[in-house]
Amino acid sequence: MINIVIVSHADLGDALIRAVEMIVGSTEGLYSVSLLPDDSPESFGEKLEAALQEIKGQETLVLIDLFGGTLYNVAARQVLKENVECVTGANLPMLLELTMSRDGASLPELAEDIARAGRESVKNLGPMLNK
Amino acid sequence: MQERRSEWALGRPRQAERKEVSVIEELGLVRIDDRLIHGQVIAVWCKQRRFTRIVILDDGVAADSFMHEVLSLAAPPNLKVDVFSIEEGVGILGEDTAGRGATMVLLKSPLAAKRLYDGGVKYSALNVGGIGNAPGRKNVFKNISASGEEIAILKYLMDKGVEITLLTVPGEKSKAFSALVRKL
Repeated sequence: MINIVIVSHADLGDALIRAVEMIVGSTEGLYSVSLLPDDSPESFGEKLEAALQEIKGQETLVLIDLFGGTLYNVAARQVLKENVECVTGANLPMLLELTMSRDGASLPELAEDIARAGRESVKNLGPMLNK
Repeated sequence: MQERRSEWALGRPRQAERKEVSVIEELGLVRIDDRLIHGQVIAVWCKQRRFTRIVILDDGVAADSFMHEVLSLAAPPNLKVDVFSIEEGVGILGEDTAGRGATMVLLKSPLAAKRLYDGGVKYSALNVGGIGNAPGRKNVFKNISASGEEIAILKYLMDKGVEITLLTVPGEKSKAFSALVRKL
């Protein structure tokens, strides 16, 4: 099973896990690593490494909350690892898609699929509903 | 040529005044932020001020081409991101290059700011935007922490006439280092 590690500001990752479990029930292989206000990039990098150490060598998708932020700067390097992919812009539709289709998919395909799922989930309803 | 001073510190134009004899255009912003390019820098600073170039001066990042790629990828297309070692930066920023006023210089630490200044890049204002907490550092203001040595370095720069302001992003509460330093 592909592991999912959410890398987020404050409690967003934990909240996303709670939200997805509210929909699909409890799931395995879901981790959250949070950047707290006092963290430096270095201290956050150490936290992330420690969390990834536990699942070292296993296929892992790192879901980063914000493209271009500190977490992105620190976590992007993980993509250089053989069995790790990184996707930014973490949201609930992406996490749902991940938990539902991670069995059977190859990791690079899964990364591509959830990036698409994330983009497609954003809608401006006014024009679509003829407001 | 009239010396131009940065205007970000107090948010209003300043009268030209001379502390250092300078004939080259003032750098747009010299900022200490150990997170370098991140949401706040890009979103707020670059929207408010017309920066066209970010120059990161850090020996570690300069030796890390992947990190340079990561940082460049996150910058808007109209913003050029250059990374140099501090020594290279002294050479490049010490010259009267085009677009100096639209350049943001990012440094990771007070020590880097001192090395730049002592190397000959005599900026007149320094923005301290973010220094994370770490062993040996204490919190100074908002998301800014510093060690005793780093506070001494900032005092050194202040005594050289550098106007030091602690400010994460424009529009938020700022603090002049000179007003804070007595309590440190």
